[in-house]
Amino acid sequence: MATLKLEALTKKFEDMTAVDHMNLEVADGEMIALLGGSGCGKTTTLRMIAGFTTPTEGDIWIDGERVNELPSYKRNVGIFFQNYALFPHLTTFDNIAFGLKLKKLPKDVVKEKVRKILSLVQLEGMEKRFPKELSGGQQQRVALARALVMEPAVLLLDEPLSNLDAKLRVEMQVEIKRIQKEVGITTIIVTHDQEEAVSLADRVIVMNAGRILQVGSPKEVFDCPVSPFVADFMGFGNIFSGRLARFRDGRGEILCGQETLYAPEASCKGIEEGEEVTLAIRPENLILAEAPGRNVLGGRIRNVTYKGHMTRLEVKDCLAEQDLYLSVHDYEGEGAGTPVRVCLPEEKLLVYPREQWS
Amino acid sequence: MHENRTGWVSRIVTALVFLFLLAPLLVVILASFSPTPIVTFPPKGFSLEWYRNIFTSSTNFLDGFVKSIEVAAIATVVDIFIGVTAALSVSRYSFKGRELLIAFFTSPMYVPSIAFAFVLLQVTSRIGGVSGMFKILIGHMIIIMPYIVRNTLSVLASFNWTLEDAAASLGANPVQTFFKVTIPLAKPGIIAGAMLAFLYSFDEAVLSSLLSSPKFITLPVRIMNYMELSFDPTLAAISTILILMSLSLIVLMERFLGLDMFLK
Repeated sequence: MATLKLEALTKKFEDMTAVDHMNLEVADGEMIALLGGSGCGKTTTLRMIAGFTTPTEGDIWIDGERVNELPSYKRNVGIFFQNYALFPHLTTFDNIAFGLKLKKLPKDVVKEKVRKILSLVQLEGMEKRFPKELSGGQQQRVALARALVMEPAVLLLDEPLSNLDAKLRVEMQVEIKRIQKEVGITTIIVTHDQEEAVSLADRVIVMNAGRILQVGSPKEVFDCPVSPFVADFMGFGNIFSGRLARFRDGRGEILCGQETLYAPEASCKGIEEGEEVTLAIRPENLILAEAPGRNVLGGRIRNVTYKGHMTRLEVKDCLAEQDLYLSVHDYEGEGAGTPVRVCLPEEKLLVYPREQWS
Repeated sequence: MHENRTGWVSRIVTALVFLFLLAPLLVVILASFSPTPIVTFPPKGFSLEWYRNIFTSSTNFLDGFVKSIEVAAIATVVDIFIGVTAALSVSRYSFKGRELLIAFFTSPMYVPSIAFAFVLLQVTSRIGGVSGMFKILIGHMIIIMPYIVRNTLSVLASFNWTLEDAAASLGANPVQTFFKVTIPLAKPGIIAGAMLAFLYSFDEAVLSSLLSSPKFITLPVRIMNYMELSFDPTLAAISTILILMSLSLIVLMERFLGLDMFLK
């Protein structure tokens, strides 16, 4: 078990900076997620921690020891690869025992350790199978077992759920969390999937262009993104601009074209009257309203898409500049062209100063 | 109905192709047991006279056989080291001139071996005092290289290099990774290439006949020399033995590796 510290970690490739002075401390036994789109630097960070890539600047500390110059095979960092990277010429047993055998452990110790870890990932009886004889979910668990059996100081998971179908995703999500808590290992997950990040991690780190944009608990990051960029990434499907006209009765009055929206003064911290702002709200937080009222805008449905557990509505004419998107349950209304009223609950509305886009 | 007809036609075509490929071999094998010094078909009777002649003939076939094996074995082993290293480096790293290097290593395939032999003869006679065995060995090492490089490359083309990272993360140093992961996975290509290279070197005649010295003559050259003087079934007997050898090598390869790798 160990702590991990990244200090001003930087990686420059010929003409681009993949990771830019990244600072991060991970506590013993903590599970954190590096979340970001492709090219945000999360995978490069992972590769630097693993020792596959050398940092251009900055330091990596594992348990207080600087490991920059330590080759990957001496780092005791376990990795779960996105494509599993199981050795195709070895059986499940030999895949998991690979590292143990290199340590020259006695045979019965190796056997016992493999047996234990197989029961942890619930793969008893699969010892003699080759990777190609296992299902995707089973291969994934072998890969996890192979990394865990080494009792690494730090465990790195690269997009652990991305290759699985919906049902297996949920199962593995629970599984990974259970195993991580059971073993109590310091873990870093790299993912582009906000759901994967918030459901697995104790702390989520949102990255873009090699920089950390936000660090926070899953709930903080999910509910209160620090910028419109993070909001967009975290699934705030409606992002639009306005101008904060004035504060009155503990509310900010925001002009969006012809319409006026209200947001609690607390949501408008650091914004002056007359300032241009960017607003964000989740599609699932918008409500279809019966009657006109505060923060209720009139519009027409452009499109209805049934998505199974919910229905996605595109509503035009609420705002001049763009459509609003709604996710509603049990939508039984009419299709395109129907007039509707959309309510933007004021406590769910996020307000950002205009220039703060990233 | 349609499927049946296709099956019927293709079966006949298959049979004809097999006949075309195997009939000459069959004739050679049957001729080797002929009791008459002139090869006749069908043979009149049965005799092992010509098999005995391999060992008693004034042409020392056995010595040629041993020398051919020597050359083929040494050239193949040396080339495995050079060729596999080359294949590994061009497939692992992308660098300028990579394609050129691949073309370079496979070029002996496209250059006529007679031209090679001529150049090599020129060079070695300039240097002087180069033994026949060394000349042939160098020549063979060059011309069989493409088989090893290409076969290894074809396996490595689909190689998942993440596996090396995985091994490192499990505590394997580069040498352990190489022998426990990279080589076992590249083995089918290396072995296939080595076997083809060995067989090619073993029955190579053009280059060897130009480079051989009176003291060092390989089997194919001895056979050619023998053929100039006589055309009795001794050659058929030798051919039969060689066919059997190649066949067992192929069977071994199939047993341990599966031939389907050639279909890649």
